[in-house]
Amino acid sequence: MLRIEHLVKDYAGGVRALEDVSLEVRDGEFLVLIGLSGSGKSTLLRCINRLIEPTSGRITLDQDDITAARGDELRRIRRGIGMIFQQFNLVKRSTVLTNVLTGRLGYVSQWQALLAHFGEEDYRRALSNLERVGLRERVHQRADRLSGGQQQRVAIARALMQEPKIMLADEPVASLDPATSHSVLKYLQQINREGMTVICSLHFLSLARTYGTRVIALKQGRLMFDGLPSDIDERRFQAIYGEEAVEVEIE
Amino acid sequence: MATVVGQPSSEPSGGPPRAPDSSGSARAALAARESPRRRLVRLLILLIAIGVLVKGWMVTDIDLGKLANAPNAAPILKSLVTPDVVSRDIVQVELDVPVVVGAGSNGPATASAQTGQTFKVEPGSPVPGGAVAFDGTGFAPNATGQIRVQNPSRGIDALWLRVTTDDTGSFHADSGWSDYSVFPPDIYHFHLTINAPGATHISDTFVNSLSRIGETILLALMGTVFGVLISAPLSFLGARNLMGGSAVGQAIYWIVRLIFTITRSIEVLILGVIMVVIVGIGSYAGVLAIVVHSVGSLGKLYSEAIEGIEPGPVEAIAATGANRLATVLYGVVPQVVPTFLSVTIYWWDHNVRMSTVLGLVGGGGIGFLLIQYMNLLQFNQAATVLWMIVIVVTLLDYASAAIRSRLV
Repeated sequence: MLRIEHLVKDYAGGVRALEDVSLEVRDGEFLVLIGLSGSGKSTLLRCINRLIEPTSGRITLDQDDITAARGDELRRIRRGIGMIFQQFNLVKRSTVLTNVLTGRLGYVSQWQALLAHFGEEDYRRALSNLERVGLRERVHQRADRLSGGQQQRVAIARALMQEPKIMLADEPVASLDPATSHSVLKYLQQINREGMTVICSLHFLSLARTYGTRVIALKQGRLMFDGLPSDIDERRFQAIYGEEAVEVEIE
Repeated sequence: MATVVGQPSSEPSGGPPRAPDSSGSARAALAARESPRRRLVRLLILLIAIGVLVKGWMVTDIDLGKLANAPNAAPILKSLVTPDVVSRDIVQVELDVPVVVGAGSNGPATASAQTGQTFKVEPGSPVPGGAVAFDGTGFAPNATGQIRVQNPSRGIDALWLRVTTDDTGSFHADSGWSDYSVFPPDIYHFHLTINAPGATHISDTFVNSLSRIGETILLALMGTVFGVLISAPLSFLGARNLMGGSAVGQAIYWIVRLIFTITRSIEVLILGVIMVVIVGIGSYAGVLAIVVHSVGSLGKLYSEAIEGIEPGPVEAIAATGANRLATVLYGVVPQVVPTFLSVTIYWWDHNVRMSTVLGLVGGGGIGFLLIQYMNLLQFNQAATVLWMIVIVVTLLDYASAAIRSRLV
């Protein structure tokens, strides 16, 4: 279980990105984060694996106190948390295989990393994860030769290499067309159904309704809504997105 | 006359009525907006600039007339079009024919070389006041030579006459024989030497220049390699995006950048002078000068390449729980490899150009040869060196550009 207590994040220059956010994410949930751009979704996700240092508050994952962890302890916790990004963040000039293998960097020794010496087990795991996202035959291609959707699936395979307890996804389909968006989210849904907790920020409410088992909404760094996707009616929608907003569907 | 109410009295009477939207008045109106003070400042700046240029002209002794100084320019310009690239061997054939004065024989005396040339003196026993004829065959055509008369025991070794072979390689010459008071009866030798132009081959100057330009390229290569070995690891410490996190990181960043700036600010020639003092004259001093110079420049270029990477992949790899070294190795290095290679090749090319002048201060390479020939006023040889530099540097420039365009 992931527990976030009174999380606050102030950026340099006095911008408060998160204002006293508390929530619990139970194992096996597909939690969708919604909210306008700048509402704090990315900051919240990055505080969970400490890519961003929270200003105050506490985050725990099972027995681990994430906010208190330092050095090797932090890296051990991080490898238990997978993450995928809006821009996929693959190393474009490296092959698909190398990109996927980097998911094991939290496990291998310094020397193995330095010499790019991954074990037989890691290679087998890489192939099976690529199989899982349907890209087994692209293993030797350069990452930038793949389409956006394929790159995101490689990114999922990379995150799966960490054998994480929980998967964070920061706008994973915002750079993709609608059809590809569904394909990527279906992979996340499948992983979720196999038992992994997924926390995913999304722009489209229709996608949130389709894939989320629970939705939370942020507005100016505050938790605005926490409930079932079906509970978001017209009134709540306008509270989250503003009076002017009109919901658009994504097919 | 049209009169307009309220027209200013300064308007010249009889002028055409002023059109309110004419360009003339608009320009005047806009120009008037500029304050007199600004005009004064602008004028002052202009005057100061002219003053500085005039002073500069005088201080640097600029004299355009000297450029057209034909007596000084001519030998240099002429040498440029006739560099010392090829030279011809001189093949010397020597034949010795003894003649006996006072023997009374009328037959000719001959000698022949194993290579087919013959030299005939007739008669083989010259008499005082008589004629002596010389014939030669089988020599190189149009070659020049001389015939000396020799008698070592009497201390005689004198030029008898000069000969030139015809198109078929033969010559014929007539002369008279002196009386006994000059040449008492004895054995004398007519010694023929024919100098024939031999095979054309590449000149020593060219071979020397070639070996020196090779040395220059290798000097630049060694300097670049060691410069890369030092600056490439340092450049990661001099990249703001990798070192920005902590106060210690910031401090290291500033120190590394300071090292880069200092080493970059000293010119290669000055570094060469210093290194010659430390390790002595030669290529090693040149290599060291190039190394120090390259560390600063390459380090700066590498660091900037690192600062220009996409942060996303680095973030993604950090998120997998990788440590800092692994994050840099897998997130940063693959992104900067093409730029690093391109910068390095460019810099090697640049270092070759730098190395061509290092010889002027004793730092090895082809510059040493150039200054040597110039000091000896051997302009043809100097021209060979100069052309060698121009051609090799140009070729390298093209080659490095071609390689770099494939990399990025």
